Amino acid sequence: MPVQDRTHEFIACVDSIISRSSIPSRRDAKQKLLQNGKSTTKSEFSRMASGIGKEISSTNLKLGKLSQLAKRKTLFDDRPVEISELTFIIKQDLASLNKQIATLQTYVKQKKSQGAKSEDGKQVDEHNKNVVTLLQSKLADTSVAFQEVLEVRTQNMKESKDRTEQFMYTATSAASQPPSNSVLFNPRGDPMGDGSLSRFDSKRPQNGDMLALNLEAAEEGSGSQNGGAFMQMQMVEQQDSYIQSRSTAIESIESTIAELGQIFMQLANMVAEQGETVQRIDADSHDIAANVSGAQRELLKYYASISSNRWLMLKIFGVLIVCFLVFILVS
Amino acid sequence: MVKIYSISVLLAPPSQTSTVLASASDLSQFSFYQKGSVGEFLAFFARTVVERTPQGQRQSVQENNYTAHVYNRGGAEQLAAVIITDQEYPVRPAFSLLTKILDEFIAKVPQSSFNNPSSISFPDVQVYVSKYQDPTQADTIMRVQQELDETKIILHKTIESVLERGEKLENLVERSNALSAHSKVFYKTAKKQNDCCVVM
Repeated sequence: MPVQDRTHEFIACVDSIISRSSIPSRRDAKQKLLQNGKSTTKSEFSRMASGIGKEISSTNLKLGKLSQLAKRKTLFDDRPVEISELTFIIKQDLASLNKQIATLQTYVKQKKSQGAKSEDGKQVDEHNKNVVTLLQSKLADTSVAFQEVLEVRTQNMKESKDRTEQFMYTATSAASQPPSNSVLFNPRGDPMGDGSLSRFDSKRPQNGDMLALNLEAAEEGSGSQNGGAFMQMQMVEQQDSYIQSRSTAIESIESTIAELGQIFMQLANMVAEQGETVQRIDADSHDIAANVSGAQRELLKYYASISSNRWLMLKIFGVLIVCFLVFILVS
Repeated sequence: MVKIYSISVLLAPPSQTSTVLASASDLSQFSFYQKGSVGEFLAFFARTVVERTPQGQRQSVQENNYTAHVYNRGGAEQLAAVIITDQEYPVRPAFSLLTKILDEFIAKVPQSSFNNPSSISFPDVQVYVSKYQDPTQADTIMRVQQELDETKIILHKTIESVLERGEKLENLVERSNALSAHSKVFYKTAKKQNDCCVVM
C-alpha cells in the first residue's frame, strides 16, 4: 500500500464536523490535536507500531526471497546453506516481532488501566487495540506463508532425493540423510518444532491475550531438538528401515514382474515374425507340390504316348525291315 | 549358512525383568556336551536384549556369531519376541517372522496364563524354527521373488530357443525356395519331352 498523506482531508473533515457539532468547549483541545497531527510528536504507541510494521514488511521481503529459492527444482544447484540461513533469519525475525507485539499489547493494557475515562482516551484505546490486532494478523499471515514455503522446500528436497536415487541407485543412502536436514525435514506438518501444530490455525487472534505464535518455545525446542531430533531420527530410522526394506523388497518384486512382462512381449513379437517366415515356407511348398505333380502328369502322358505309339512303331519298324531286306536282296 | 538358533516369546514389562513365555531352539549342530551351555546362553542373551529394547521398537544385536533380532511389541500384553540366528540370516524376514509369531501367540494363548509360564503350550514356535531355517521358502515375499527370478531365467532360455528356431526357419525357407525352382525346371523339361519328340 503506498503511503499517502491525507492529512488535509482529515483536517477538512474534522472542520466540517466541528462546524456541524455542538461541543464548542473542546474546540481548542481538538484544534491543538489537529495541529499536532502534522507535527512529528507521535505517541510512544505509534512509534512502536510503525517500527513493528516496518519489520513485518522486511520479513515479508525475505520470505519472498526464500520462497523463490525453495521453488527451484534443480538437482545440483541447490543452495542449502543460503536457504537454511535465510530460514534461520526469518525465524528469528518472527520471534522478535512476536515479542515486540507482546510488549505493545502490555503497553496498551497498561495505558487502558492507567488512563483516561474520557472519550478521547477510549477512542485512542480502541485505535490502539485495532492496530495491535492488525499487526498480529499480519504476523500470522507471514508465518503461515513461511510454513508453506518450508513445506514446499521439503517436498522439493524429497523429489530431488528420489531423482538422485534414480540416477545413482543408492537406496540405502535414504536412511542416512534425515539427520542433516532435521531443521527443515521434520515430520510432516510440524516444521517449527515439537507438537505445536495448532498454532498456525489461529490466524486471527480473537482476544488480544492469545499470542498468535508461540515461537519462543519453538526457538528453544528447535535448538535442543537438533540434538534430540537426532536420537529421534535414529529410532525412527530403525522403525523406518524395517518398513523401508519391506517396501523396497516389494518394489523389486514389482519391477521384476514388469520385466517379465516385457520379456513376454518380446517373445510374442519374435514368434509373430517367425510365423511370417513359416507362411513363406508354406507357400513355397505348395508351389513345389504343384510343380512336381505337373511334371508327373507330363511324364505319364509321355509314357502313355510312347506306349500307345507302339503300334505305329511296329509299323515303322516293319517298313524299315522291309527296306533292309530290299537292300540286302538288291546287293 | 543361514540358520536359526532359537525363537522365544517373552513377557517384557517395561523396566522390569522379563520372563520367557515360550521358546524353541535348534541346537543340532552343537555337540551333546555343548548343547546345555549354548541353550542357557541363548536364553540369557534373549532376555538381556529384550530388557534393553524399548516398547514398540525393533533392534538387532550382534554377539560373536549370534545375531539377535528383537521386536518389543509392548501394547496391552507387553510381549516381545526374539529370534537368534547366525549372521547371514536376512534381517527383514526375521522381523516379519517375529511379528507373525507375536500375532499368533496373542491369538492362541489367553492372557491370563501369562503369569504362569510353565502352563503355556505354544508348539508353533518349534514348527517355525524348523520351517524358517530356509527363509527363502518360508517368507512369502522372498519366495515370490525367488520364483520370479526362476521364471525370468526360464524365459531367457525360451527366448534363446526361439532365436534358434528362427534360424532354422530361415534355413527351411531357403531350401524350399531352391526346391521350388528345381521342381519348376523339372516340370518344364517334362513338358518339353512331350512336345519336342514326335519323331517316333
